[in-house]
Amino acid sequence: MGKKAYLQISFAWLFAIIVGAFILFLAIFFSIKLINTEQTIQDAKTSKEIGILLNPLETGFETTKSTSISFPAETRIYNKCNNKGTFGRQIIQVSQKSFNKWSETNIDVGFSNKYIFSEEYVEAKKFYIFSKPFDFPFKVSDLMLITSSEKDYCFIDAPLKISEEILFLNQENLLVGNCSTQSTKVCFKGGDCEIKVDYDNKRIVKDGEIMFFEGDALMYAGIFSNKEVYECQVKRLMQRVDSLALLYKNKAVFISEKGCYSNLDLLTLSNLANSLEDSKDLFIMSNSVESIENENDLGNCKLW
Amino acid sequence: MVIVMKNRTGQLKIQQMAFMLIAVTLFFVLVGMFFLVVKFSNLKEDATGLCEKNAQLLATKLANSPEFSCGESFGSSKVNCIDADKVMLLKENIAKYSGFWGVSNIEVRKIYPIEAEKTCELGNYPDCNIIKIRSKEDTSAYLSNFVSLCRKESYEGTVYDKCELAKIMINYEYGEKC
Repeated sequence: MGKKAYLQISFAWLFAIIVGAFILFLAIFFSIKLINTEQTIQDAKTSKEIGILLNPLETGFETTKSTSISFPAETRIYNKCNNKGTFGRQIIQVSQKSFNKWSETNIDVGFSNKYIFSEEYVEAKKFYIFSKPFDFPFKVSDLMLITSSEKDYCFIDAPLKISEEILFLNQENLLVGNCSTQSTKVCFKGGDCEIKVDYDNKRIVKDGEIMFFEGDALMYAGIFSNKEVYECQVKRLMQRVDSLALLYKNKAVFISEKGCYSNLDLLTLSNLANSLEDSKDLFIMSNSVESIENENDLGNCKLW
Repeated sequence: MVIVMKNRTGQLKIQQMAFMLIAVTLFFVLVGMFFLVVKFSNLKEDATGLCEKNAQLLATKLANSPEFSCGESFGSSKVNCIDADKVMLLKENIAKYSGFWGVSNIEVRKIYPIEAEKTCELGNYPDCNIIKIRSKEDTSAYLSNFVSLCRKESYEGTVYDKCELAKIMINYEYGEKC
């Protein structure tokens, strides 16, 4: 009566099980930590490599260049931008899919001399990078436009020079006419499209938001970007315009000592660039840019 | 008496096991630390490799950057052509460009005609042959690319373009700035 059964485990066994479990827990914990760290390192390295691989895409006097980058795994490239400091900073973050899960990414890889235009993030195994120089009125930088190979853009009723340029690029995800149902339609003469470009009034309507542009380079940038990235990069470009305008102004004074005169109103351009709030102000600058460009082209001593 | 003996043997076994477990743990900790040291030294090598690769690619393209390039100011558009007048003025305002290209040193060195080395300042320009645009103490090797170095000159009131053979030389930075 009342006889109880006991599990006969000696203290030695109990001790071994507890300590063994603790050691196993520690081993698993550190292995997971190490795998995560390894993934973060890989992401940071990939971000840096992307930035480095953009160097050969800088154009000389060519008009456009296009290339592609492929990754072994499904990859997301996050495009961030800040305009603090003299030139702001282009920030790239990369997240890769492993075991059907996106790696957590919080390492920012930054470049001050790069201007990347894309959606908030682009996702694919293969990405297309299309670079185009931005002149305002002198060359400011090459704009890098990143698109996913999984997203096609179809240009409808584009002006002839735009259509020809896209055909010349031969980039697989950029189509002229013959749109598939899945492609993102870019209309130049209105219609039911995801992106509407008013080429004459230099504005783009995308996701219900308006972006303003000057020149074809910024038009492409607006088509492939979201508004936040676009506005931030335009501001960064204007920070560089400001510096370059002052550099050319100093050069004008410097070479005038050798009898090479040019009288361009670069100080006004610098001030306008410095006070730019958003892409809407590009219109205010356009007159100044145009007159400086004409004067430089017609002058005996070209500054650029 | 027998009970006391049994307890002693048990305690000894527990002690043996505890020592064994500590030894095993220490072994794994040491292996882990060794692995981490190897891993992080590789990481440093990788980072240096990336910085070097960046500098190599930059060396071939830096001359075409708007702060350096000739553009059309010496006739038609030229590739790998550096505007010496512009670069001299850039040198005076280089503090603004700190970390902009991610390199520690940028130097443009005239290589032909061969002359005694003379660093360019606004006072002795153009009678000099080395323009040190950014110069930090650095021991890493220079990466270079051949360029033409052009400037405006005047002779008896006539302005003309003068281009010479030069090299753009770059030292790369480590760490975040690279």
